[in-house]
Amino acid sequence: MTEPLLRIDDLHVDITTRDRTVHALDGIDLDLAPGEALGLVGESGCGKTLTALSVLGLLPAGGRITRGRILFHGTDLAAAPEPVLRGVRGHTVGMVFQDPLTSLNPTMTIGAQVAEPLRLHTRLTRAEARAKAEEMLGLVGLPRPAERMTHYPHQLSGGMRQRVAIAMALVCEPDLLIADEPTTALDVTTQHQILELVDALRARLGMALILVTHDLGVIARRVDRVAVMYGGRIAEHAPVRPLFAAPRHRYTQALFAALPERAPDPARPLATVPGRPPVLTTRPTGCRFAPRCGFATDLCRTAEPELTDGPDGGRPADRTAHTFACFHPAGPAPGADPVAEIRPPAPATAPPRADAPLLRLTDLAKSYPLHGGPFARRRGAAGISAVAGISLTVRRGETFGIVGESGCGKSTLGRLAVGLEAPTTGTVEVAGRDLATLRGGELRAHRREVQLMFQDSAAAMDPRMRVGAVLTEPLVIQGIGDRAARQRRIAGLLDDVGLPRGAVDRYPHEFSGGQRQRLGLARALALAPSLVVADEPVSALDVSVQAQILNLMRALQREKGLSYLFISHDLAVVRHVADRVGVMYLGKLVETGPAEAVFDRPLHPYTRGLLDTVRPPDPASRPLGGETPSAAAPPSGCRFRTRCAFATERCAAEPPLVGRGAGHVASCHFPLRG
Amino acid sequence: MTTTAPAPQDAAPAVPGPVRRVLTGFRRNKLALTGALILLALLAFCFLGPLLHPTDQIHTDLTQANRAPGAGHPLGTTDLGYDLLGRLMYGGRTSLEVGLAAGLLATLVGTVYGAVAGYFGGWPDAVMMRVTDAALAIPALFLLVVVATLVTPSKPVLILVIASVAWLSPARLLRGEALALRSRDYVHAMRLMGGGGTRAVFRHILPNALGTVVVNATFQIADAILYVAYLSFLGLSLPPPAADWGSLLSAGITYTQVGHWWLIFPPGIAIVLVVAAFNFLGDGLRDAFDVRLDTGRGSHR
Amino acid sequence: MIGFLAKRLAQALVVLLLVSVIVFVLLHLLPGGPARAILGVQATPQAVAHFNHQQGYDRSLPQQYLMYLGRLLTGDLGESYRLNQSVGSLLAERLPRTALLAGLSLALAAVLAVPLGILQAVRRGRAADHVLTGLAFLAYATPVFFLGLVLVLVFSQQLPLLPAEAPQADTVGGILAEPAGLVLPVVTTALGIVAAFSRYLRSAVLDNLGEDYVRTARAKGQSGTRVLVRHVLRNALLPLVTLLGLYLPTLFSGTLVVESMFNYPGMGLLFWNAAQGSDFPVLLGVTLVVGVATVLGSLLADVAYAVLDPRIRSVP
Repeated sequence: MTEPLLRIDDLHVDITTRDRTVHALDGIDLDLAPGEALGLVGESGCGKTLTALSVLGLLPAGGRITRGRILFHGTDLAAAPEPVLRGVRGHTVGMVFQDPLTSLNPTMTIGAQVAEPLRLHTRLTRAEARAKAEEMLGLVGLPRPAERMTHYPHQLSGGMRQRVAIAMALVCEPDLLIADEPTTALDVTTQHQILELVDALRARLGMALILVTHDLGVIARRVDRVAVMYGGRIAEHAPVRPLFAAPRHRYTQALFAALPERAPDPARPLATVPGRPPVLTTRPTGCRFAPRCGFATDLCRTAEPELTDGPDGGRPADRTAHTFACFHPAGPAPGADPVAEIRPPAPATAPPRADAPLLRLTDLAKSYPLHGGPFARRRGAAGISAVAGISLTVRRGETFGIVGESGCGKSTLGRLAVGLEAPTTGTVEVAGRDLATLRGGELRAHRREVQLMFQDSAAAMDPRMRVGAVLTEPLVIQGIGDRAARQRRIAGLLDDVGLPRGAVDRYPHEFSGGQRQRLGLARALALAPSLVVADEPVSALDVSVQAQILNLMRALQREKGLSYLFISHDLAVVRHVADRVGVMYLGKLVETGPAEAVFDRPLHPYTRGLLDTVRPPDPASRPLGGETPSAAAPPSGCRFRTRCAFATERCAAEPPLVGRGAGHVASCHFPLRG
Repeated sequence: MTTTAPAPQDAAPAVPGPVRRVLTGFRRNKLALTGALILLALLAFCFLGPLLHPTDQIHTDLTQANRAPGAGHPLGTTDLGYDLLGRLMYGGRTSLEVGLAAGLLATLVGTVYGAVAGYFGGWPDAVMMRVTDAALAIPALFLLVVVATLVTPSKPVLILVIASVAWLSPARLLRGEALALRSRDYVHAMRLMGGGGTRAVFRHILPNALGTVVVNATFQIADAILYVAYLSFLGLSLPPPAADWGSLLSAGITYTQVGHWWLIFPPGIAIVLVVAAFNFLGDGLRDAFDVRLDTGRGSHR
Repeated sequence: MIGFLAKRLAQALVVLLLVSVIVFVLLHLLPGGPARAILGVQATPQAVAHFNHQQGYDRSLPQQYLMYLGRLLTGDLGESYRLNQSVGSLLAERLPRTALLAGLSLALAAVLAVPLGILQAVRRGRAADHVLTGLAFLAYATPVFFLGLVLVLVFSQQLPLLPAEAPQADTVGGILAEPAGLVLPVVTTALGIVAAFSRYLRSAVLDNLGEDYVRTARAKGQSGTRVLVRHVLRNALLPLVTLLGLYLPTLFSGTLVVESMFNYPGMGLLFWNAAQGSDFPVLLGVTLVVGVATVLGSLLADVAYAVLDPRIRSVP
């Protein structure tokens, strides 16, 4: 290997807050050659972002490098004084952050922000810097860059803002680009566009890349090597192919197994990782993963494993070789199914499913006035068409998945289905009764049938109530049982969701994210509903915890004969949980059908495009370009036509429903042949 | 590895409940503690002080007028011959009683008004808030003086007059709070269980707005005490022999030219102390309850 | 932005109307009503009845309000019964002087508060921050007249540097010709507001320093000072414009006290003298004008903010 561009040796970082010190990074070694791409992956709190921030000396308040070196072009950045670091930042190392909505200055023009690094690091005049900035904006794919130069960030969409952030990081043509979760805040189609852009620019400018992400899917096709981090250390480090083919560290293996997209069989529960990562206020003895590892022995609990190339091996001289810090690694045989060894017990049998419809939505539409206030409606303003004529049926005992990008109206659909909002037109029927006709006591009784599980259960629980009161509230409102009966009922609910009964005396904020989703599910089930509408129930969770919640939801569905309307932006999750799916785009359902049919043989070009953005590239794939139009002025006819490769003038008229048997239908003039 | 994991090590470390958090937050905040101690000392001074230093605060004694501090009169005497130390105790009662009562009354009225407007929203809210906007547009002192000239001051009247102006800012504050709390997910969740408006207001909105109300009440009392002083300064105080710190101070202004400093500084410092103490207390409570009041303080004075 | 401005203007008009309603209601709360207020307590019942009929005070309240509003719109605010002059002309004379005092004080407050607030934010948790925080609390707690009194004692009596009485000139130019006399009134009015503004600026700068865009700016290689000047200050100072509008009532209350203390011949002094002599037409006239000035001032502040903030200015 050539002389590395960046070499990190034994990096230690402490974060000191008022109450405690966290040893956030504990001996990180990494090498990066010029032009190479390295992925840093791991769940929240593993230290991947801190590692990236350390390189530029941008640690958060209280953060301090306590040991180690960061050699960049031969200079130790860990020990460099601030002026030296300033010379590196934005000049030879560019950085892109996670949230494009907040990482640009709201009151400064885009042109000024992109030109700023040039003014700082080069001797270009103001006019030259602006010309170069404009050129860079064109290069990152911003349409009409000259005009955009004078715009402010709020005038651009999230995806466009992230392009601006990339232009800003690259305008001085750095040797290294650090991208910290650059696509996490974006929709899948935009995500794909941004990653493609980074790839192309990297090839063009010949720079190295450190891509920090929690998303294993993102990393697979974008980097040369991957470092998997856990608890402030590197657990495994390998070129990308061997790592994905045969992960050796038991943590990496478990992480892969928990991914819904890698589940061998959707009918089977996902493999999960119990527990949660260590709190690093004290240095753990032994392997940091041991408390959660099914293979841990006494050795793991007492001695800390080093990064080696085998159980008896040493540290290879080549710092890019496949190494892992595990005493009991998974087998090295390439091609061996890592999941086979940790296959979860008892394959699930599909529940007996009656075909009786439970929830029926008919021509459901909801629009909001554009500007609040009393005059909006009188002026006859069209407003925002959030949901535009959706009909669907959820049968008893099934899971109906709604998938779509942000702003497609899927959450509004969920709120309409539970009756949290009233539809503008159309009807919601539950068990044959129209929600709009129910009043008073009837309506209250109806509430037992349908419950909502929120994305953020913490926000959905009164912070001043203990868990006991939170879980009892639905029973009290509905007047179910006496005190003792209610206590028994909530004890049973806590057992069901796998939380200790002692939880009743604690407050919701004392629980972790995964535990709070368990509480949210327990409360939704308190009234023994037939239908639970789950709005992004796992999107705030790490992969290993996500698997726990998905398994739990499925187990309880079998046990209690529940139906779910499962709303998510995550295709893999929906595919894993749903029996049937509906794909939404700009307030319309463009395709519905059995999960396998929709995902394997999509009819609608949008569904296809959505799937192609997360699938391995193949020549026939058509990833989506462009951006979703505003719901305030949706295109006529097929709302997708502005981004569709097949669209003709016919598409401006309402598209017909086309089917391919077994309830698989799409609304499209030019359905795809599967 | 199991499929559903009740994992015992999953438990988060125990975190104290809200009440405990408020108490610890309070203890940590030295400023708030200082405020509480100053208040206790001032209350003792005004209500227990006369037991140690009994004086006649009803009858004037012109033979004793305008004495400098000395034996028998540690802080000297006023132009009417009252012992100033005793008068400070006596006047402090008025300031504290009127301030406390007016501040609490204003908070109560404002809270109810604001909560109603915020909870109902729509037209009632728009109408109710424009009314407070208009009343707030007239600077408080002008409004206070006009109202005060219409009536003959007595303690209860003074309390009502001050409260009639001071309720406006808590009304705005609580309206914003109710508006925000109304759309919290836990209120939505409760509606989906079949719960109604009464439960939303009494079980969820009011308990969660309590921190804001309590914090605002302390600031409101501080302001009410200042209003008493301002009214006295503008010549709208209780008729003699009643007194308050503000009237003592404005009576002293006449004698600044001749150097009777003792008539000015003791009542002035007393006002500053008590108002600062309530502000300290409010600031500490704000940290402890972790509430954010929107604009800076004093926008209503 | 047009939409925002139209909405804000409509709101201001409604509030203006309601201000006039409040003053109208106060007028009718007067003991004996407007007739007694204008004719005095000695007037005979016949005179009162005659007056009421003549002035339309025997009609229904809504009718009376419309008449009142009509008079307001023609600038008729009634007659002072102590000064033998129309309230309108009294105010026309006094308003510019009070505007001068208020404007100078507000400018001084902003000029002092900005550096102090920034200093506190940058030195957060250090001695300078603690001292300034303590002073701000002290400023909140000190009644304006006590502050003025202490300033007079120190700067006018102990060290006879400045006069204890404001300039008595009739015109704004004449007042400005005696700057020494303006110092104490202006400083007294400004100090309480300085505390509030600097506290606001401290927290605004701290909030902005925690924003993601600051991290982005640092990742470009900017120094801390440059980040503060180029990025943070603009964002922290913008809302100060609306804060200026919000503090107008406080400011006017301050001028009322300061004018009566320093015998400054503005609206506040007029109002105070009217309160002493129960000159109700003047009292209510001043109240109305001050209320209207506040509404228009905060409207102006909001418009300025809309023009300055690109997020509002360039909404499509």
